[in-house]
Amino acid sequence: MFAYIVRRLAYGAVTVLGVLLLLFVLFFAIADPDDIARQAIGERASAEVYEQWKVNHGYDKPLVINAEHGVLEPGRYTDTLLFEHYRSMLTFDFGRSDADDVPIAERLRQGALPSLSLTLPLFALSLVVGVFFALLVAFFRDTYVDFAVLVMCMLAMSVASLIYIIAGQYLIGLTLKWFPISGFDADPALVIRFLALPIIIGVIASFGGDVRLYRTVFIEETNKDYVRTARAKGCGDARVMVRHVLRNALIPILTSVVLAIPFLFVGSLLFENFFGIPGLGAITVEAINGNDFSTLRTMVYISALLFIVAQILTDISYTLADPRVRLS
Amino acid sequence: MNATRRWCGLLATSVACLLVAACSNNPYPSEEQNEKIQYAAFSEAPRTLDPATAYTTSAHVITANVYDTLLEYHYLNRPYELIPGLAEALPEVEQLLDGRTVFTFRLRDGIMFQRDASFSLNDNDTDSRKVTAHDFAFQFARLADPAVNSPVFENFASITGFRAFRDLISERRQADEAFAALRIDQQYEALGGVPGIIVLNELELEIVLDQQDLQMLYWFAIPFTTPVPWEAVVYWDGEEGRERFADHPVGTGPYTLSVYDKQFRYVLERNPMWYGAMYPEWQAPGAVFPTDITQEDVEARRVNPEYAGRALPFLDRIEYRRERESIPHFNKLLQGYYDSGGVINESFDAVIDGDRLSPAMVEMGMALDQVVSPSVFYIGFNMDDPTIGRTAGEPGRLLRQAMSLVVDVEQYLEIFSNGRGVPAQSPIPPGLFGYDDAYSNTFRQVDIDRAKDLMVQAGFPGGTDPATNEPLKLTFDTGNTTAQAQLRYKYFVTAWRRLGIDVEIAATTYNKFQEKVRTGAYQIFQWGWVADYPDPENFLFLLESGSARSATGGPNTANFSNPDYDALFAQMSDRPSDDERLRLINEMIALLERERPWIELYHLEDYILRHEWVLNAKPMGLSYPVYKYRDIDAELRSESRETWNQPVRWPLYAIILLMVAATVPAIRTLYRERQ
Repeated sequence: MFAYIVRRLAYGAVTVLGVLLLLFVLFFAIADPDDIARQAIGERASAEVYEQWKVNHGYDKPLVINAEHGVLEPGRYTDTLLFEHYRSMLTFDFGRSDADDVPIAERLRQGALPSLSLTLPLFALSLVVGVFFALLVAFFRDTYVDFAVLVMCMLAMSVASLIYIIAGQYLIGLTLKWFPISGFDADPALVIRFLALPIIIGVIASFGGDVRLYRTVFIEETNKDYVRTARAKGCGDARVMVRHVLRNALIPILTSVVLAIPFLFVGSLLFENFFGIPGLGAITVEAINGNDFSTLRTMVYISALLFIVAQILTDISYTLADPRVRLS
Repeated sequence: MNATRRWCGLLATSVACLLVAACSNNPYPSEEQNEKIQYAAFSEAPRTLDPATAYTTSAHVITANVYDTLLEYHYLNRPYELIPGLAEALPEVEQLLDGRTVFTFRLRDGIMFQRDASFSLNDNDTDSRKVTAHDFAFQFARLADPAVNSPVFENFASITGFRAFRDLISERRQADEAFAALRIDQQYEALGGVPGIIVLNELELEIVLDQQDLQMLYWFAIPFTTPVPWEAVVYWDGEEGRERFADHPVGTGPYTLSVYDKQFRYVLERNPMWYGAMYPEWQAPGAVFPTDITQEDVEARRVNPEYAGRALPFLDRIEYRRERESIPHFNKLLQGYYDSGGVINESFDAVIDGDRLSPAMVEMGMALDQVVSPSVFYIGFNMDDPTIGRTAGEPGRLLRQAMSLVVDVEQYLEIFSNGRGVPAQSPIPPGLFGYDDAYSNTFRQVDIDRAKDLMVQAGFPGGTDPATNEPLKLTFDTGNTTAQAQLRYKYFVTAWRRLGIDVEIAATTYNKFQEKVRTGAYQIFQWGWVADYPDPENFLFLLESGSARSATGGPNTANFSNPDYDALFAQMSDRPSDDERLRLINEMIALLERERPWIELYHLEDYILRHEWVLNAKPMGLSYPVYKYRDIDAELRSESRETWNQPVRWPLYAIILLMVAATVPAIRTLYRERQ
């Protein structure tokens, strides 16, 4: 298993380098440093101001090869934007925002808590509710409850998240007046008030897909021999479902769950934007709208990095969930 | 199993308790409910609050309240009237025989900067200091400094030696490293400052212009010319965990910025060091509520006459919360959690009935302010273009005239803005000297037949280009690629198609569009202008050849260049607003009507809703909101919020009952089958 983990980490490292190369090509193909400088400080500045801005933001170097250095000098390749891009990303020295010069690391630090305070409970509740209802419909399979929940799931899956958000804000926030329509306050006394609505809407939005997926897995398990054996031994229905079926159905659930973890850290673009939560998702949307390339590059890199790590963790978690799985 | 059940029960109970505890839609702490706080929203934080560079409405919301200026606008009087601010009186203006103009300001004695850590650079025990004329001179030097990169450099270029100072400091920094390493105020001092900004003594400032430029007076009412302490610029350098000066304003205004979180919230709080608070006995014009209140303002509930002569400010705090989307913002306004705000398109019909408030809004006690801002939006032709521009001669002019005749701006406003906006007949918006309500531009009245005739005269019968025998092809260039913008542009393209002209929308990235503008590779575009100050000169200069984008990089993006227009502009720009000035303006407008470098579209009109507890909220029109005159009836607000926001709980109980009712028969059926 150790060899497997080392090998996966090595693959992961290569993938990260590839992602960084792709990022470099994508970002610098869209806008050259002169364009980025013009966008940041406006059209009417002098050449001197643009140059100074590029120096301050590390955009003053040539892209791949620095002809000022000799062929054999390392500076020919290290004194370039490409090298600087790799260096800054791999050492997590993200520099300053193109838009307003704020250190990106500081912005990430500020945004992480609001993002996690939304995504973690949303993730946990969605999982609990999804698994609970899936177990319930698997238990009542082929009854009208199963049919009704399945129809509800299909309907729920057919509606876009944006509709849930707008309808939820209108119905729960504006009409029923249960929670604030949007906003955020880190004060522990107020934070639940602001997070309740996005979490409820998020759970409802993910309900259809989750229940359908988990139900399929559970029903497949309930048809297996060990379930019949457990029942024959006199196990109660609830015990069979929770202790036997749920445990044996963990692998497909784990796959979807662990792969969702990276997105907890980078926040939810849609939810944060609509509910005014100052998290990393909202920062990403703002970076897109404001052509803040340095922030956007960092967010894409972090997402990719977390995704790679999550994939490795998924594989490892299989062995924990099911001792029969051997990684080789 | 019992343990599992217990855990499930505990979890469900905890979630239910949390939800019940959270069950209130009030986004603010309850202890704030009776405080004099104005709640407002922002959608995007400004990039900078440095008064030398901040040039957006979102920045002015803060800078106009934190930074005081030598002069201010009278809060109530229209047309706009300048009154003394930090200056004791309006400046003495002297016209010298050599054509130069001299403004002499005398400052109020005793004005202090707000408390700030940066003043510890002078003395560890100091957290403020007195404002002197040197602080104004320092800011003027910053405006000229190329490293600061002020967007209004050209507007101050008539100050004697302003341009030379910029060149000199640039040269010295490049040539002399020791000079470049000096503290910024010492660099300015070493060069003697801007020659035309003369500090006569601590309280007297003389500003010398190379020419007659009466419009300069308006710039003394804009935060660009506020006094700035060198200590703040030096101290707040963005290093070692300190903020940048661009995010940490230090001024003399009635409010200070106490919280500045760009992602979430900013807060303006009363400045105890403001001269109005420290010296109420001065009864300074900018520190007391005006006494000349008109009956019209009182009847429109814009002003409460009881406030006449009272000391400012009234609000203790202004809370700005970030609302990235307009729908939640508007809904919170309806719930009473914002005090005022605009009307969104999605709810326009529910809010506005004809051109007044709907009965539901009236019942809520809402008031509606319809404000036409000093602005103009237009379609421009690149006059350097060989097909539609200057070099195309008479056919080009006829083509522009024809294209102007088919754009129905009233319909356009109805479709895209619910009719909000005043159709423009000339560049000058309502409320400014030179605007004539009766004037009707003959090329801004829709007339398809006349347009078709003009196309024939232009040599493009039925829109056919004789060179290709195909429809004349033109390009509409834009840097806006959003679907909504495309729909708007398609409206124009469809109108021109009625003349047989094939206009292609070339939507590119912002950068590519700017590149096109720089190189002149564009034909037709849409642009807008919001005034810096309320004078027709600030609109008519947009078509003066000295501001042409291709030649000078200026704001004349149409690159219109006409010697007659330039001559008229030169005579008009520095005249007082008299009959002769009006005649010159009318002549310029007539020339523009004929030449058609623009198709004037509309002047921006904002519909602002405000609750009845918002007092003295007369809209300024200009992009400098002044909160010191406003007040809030916090008690009325609290009562209204309480009444409007009682949670409706019965659907929750109904859902629970429904779920139980749906599940119980299933359980019974299942057990019956198993048995």
